[in-house]
This record gives sequence, structure tokens and C-alpha cells, in this order.
Amino acid sequence: MTRGGLIKTGLWLLGGLMLGGIIHIVAVILVPDFTTDDAWTRLASFGPDAQFNVLPAVEPGAEPLPMLDPTMAHAVCRFTLDDGPVRLDATIPDTFWSFSLFNRRGETTYSFNDRTSGEGKLAMLVLTSSQLSMLRENPPEDLDSLIVIETEDDHVFALLRAFVPDKRREKAIDAALGRAKCAQEKV
Amino acid sequence: MALVEIPHTPIRRLAGALSRARRTGKGERRGEAARPASPRDNWRIDDVPRRPTGRLFLINLLLAVIVALVFGIGTAYLAVDRGRLFGEVRLGQWTAYPTAGTPDADPYSAATTARTGQIPLGKGEGLAFFADRDRSGNRLVPSCDYRLVGQTPPGRLWTLTSTDAHGHLMKTQAGRVALDSRDIVRKPDGDFEITVAAQARPGNWLPVGTSGPLTLVLRLYDTPLTTGSGLAEIAMPEIFRGQCS
Repeated sequence: MTRGGLIKTGLWLLGGLMLGGIIHIVAVILVPDFTTDDAWTRLASFGPDAQFNVLPAVEPGAEPLPMLDPTMAHAVCRFTLDDGPVRLDATIPDTFWSFSLFNRRGETTYSFNDRTSGEGKLAMLVLTSSQLSMLRENPPEDLDSLIVIETEDDHVFALLRAFVPDKRREKAIDAALGRAKCAQEKV
Repeated sequence: MALVEIPHTPIRRLAGALSRARRTGKGERRGEAARPASPRDNWRIDDVPRRPTGRLFLINLLLAVIVALVFGIGTAYLAVDRGRLFGEVRLGQWTAYPTAGTPDADPYSAATTARTGQIPLGKGEGLAFFADRDRSGNRLVPSCDYRLVGQTPPGRLWTLTSTDAHGHLMKTQAGRVALDSRDIVRKPDGDFEITVAAQARPGNWLPVGTSGPLTLVLRLYDTPLTTGSGLAEIAMPEIFRGQCS
């Protein structure tokens, strides 16, 4: 090959590297929207949507989701807001618990724990902006005691974590998590 | 290169045309008509294809596209697979990623979170710290004992557990895989000492698995670190290496 041809091929390879840089950026940005292995998708296997499903205990070789704390019991509720706002209620006695809302991409958008919850229980209404304006016309009676979360995300999941201080408490805590409500409201 | 041996390559045509042009120049002086005509000499500049490097162009394009795909997708995969790149906060041997799993996370962190299906702790819940090296910078391994000495930052509850290099819990000899702030025996000044070891140890003992390198995970729940006071000047337990087998 002539020297000119070599230079030309070199320039092409350089162009390829630059194009590769663009592909790199696009690929990284698209991963969260295209991965089929994210938390939202995995959570489908633990039970129907729009109700709290208690996750199996976090144990070696049987972790329901990666990086969960083995000292905690978890309940998760996956829902969409297309069919109306969702009301969340839970009371978990005598242990540390925390709550977090996630969007479709698995990013936490709102979180608190039993001490910052105010009344020591979970009472929350998650809705979209348009549902909120409808709610204003006809507010529920206990609106004052509710945490109202307005969100742009139509796919949401909620995770409750409750600390299990010892094995003897595990059943009671799992039962409290099982009683947690996550229900679609009529507007 | 053997290109010259390949008939009809664009390069050779071009080279032929050029050399012919030179010869034509000489020939005019010498008298072109006297030279015997060979098929090659019948070439004129017009015979050179309009796109003189057609095949080379395709080869170059193909090379560039392959380089772009391999480089672009390869580096993206590595960056997402290797875990967090930005947004880390280091305290002694411990590292936290306060923005991971929030809408403020950088794109790499967001991709890692999504691909691994992790559910990180929200700000109002707590913060997780990770350590995979001891105080002298050696990788934590299950064949050694480690002592965690000191205090944790303020928080209502903390739990300590260990994972393998991929973030999975490992089976331990004792069955349990965690230690929490309620189990801990402390010294009168509030400091504690925890032994991290695969075999049973007296005192505060975190049993660990025996396979592969270790990562310790310290989760602080309901801590002012995430809700206000920030992460500077916080005391975290130091990790000292003990005996190795």
C-alpha cells in the first residue's frame, strides 16, 4: 500500500474511534431505558402489581434483588398511575422501618423512615398532576394525615424495609408487611 | 505489500496511468509512434474509474465501522460493568455513593444501577458504605482476619455485612451474614472492635464466606449524613489486618 493510502486508512480509523466515542455515550445513556434486567422488571416475578408483595428473606444464594440488606424484611408494590391514584398504608410496630418510592428507571424519588414519617405509619397518596387537580375538587376526608406525592412518572414502585432484630420477630414483621396496603383509588 | 500482483486493483490502475503519463512525456520527445503498442499502453486518463479508490474506500469504511462499534460498545460495557465511576465519597477505607440510584446520578451510575437491578437506599432511609481494602491498602480476603476499630457516624441503626467481589452474599460457617448496632459490645468510651473472620472469634464477630475477595458493607439508617450535616469530617471504623492463614 502506498504512503498516501496508509495515511488515508489512518484517518478512517481515527474517524472510527470518534464515532466509537459517540456510540459509547449513546449506549451508556440508553442502558437504563433498554435493559431487561432492571429492578422494575425483576419485581414482576414476586406477585401481581398494585399490592404489596413480601419478598423472600435475603439469604446467600437466594437474594431477591442484589444488594439488599440481609437484616431487613422487604415488601414491594409495583403500580402504574394510568388507572388512577394509588393509596399506600402500612403500620409496622416496634422496629426501624423505611420507605422509598422509585420511578421506572429504579431511581429513588421520595423516601423517609418511621421517625421522619410523622405519625409513625405509612399513609400516602401517589398521583399525577391531572389526578391531583381532580382530587382537589373532591378531597378525601383524611387528606390532612396523608403524604400526597405528585409525580410525572406513570410507572412507580414502592419499597418498604423493616429491620428484623432477631429471628423470633421475623414472622410478626413479615405479617405486618403483608398487611400493608397498596391500592388503586377511584377518582 | 502484494497489491502490485493483483490485477485491476484501483491502485494499480492509478499507478499505471501515472507511469504512462510519464512515459508519454518521454515518448513525445523520442517519438511515441515508434514504440510497440501493448494493451497497457492503450490506457488513457479517461480509463481511470471516476472513484479511483472504490474498493479501498469500502475496506476503510468497514474498518472504521468495526473500530467504532468495538471501541464504543466495548468501553461502554466495561464502564457500566466495572461499577461506579463518579460521585463517590471516601471516608478512610470506606466509600459511599450518595447520588447513586437518584435522579441526580451520573449516566454511568444510572446505567450500572439499571443493569444490575440494585435498589439503593433513599436519602430518607440511610446510606451504604463499602470497603474492599484494609488500612494499608491491601485487598480484603477471607483468608485473613480483620479488626474494625472505632465508631460509626451518628445514626439510629447500622448493619455490617460482607459480600463477594460481585456484591453477592456468601454462606458463612455461622449461618448469619450480618452484625448490627444492637448486637455490639462496646467499650466504655463508645468505641467498638469487630473481628471479621471466616472462623468463629470471641467478642463482636462478623462471619464471612470463604470464596474470593471480600467487600464489607456498612449501612447507616436514619442518619443525618444524608439529610443535613454532610459527609465531611466523619469518623468511620478503621480496618486493620490481623492474622492470615
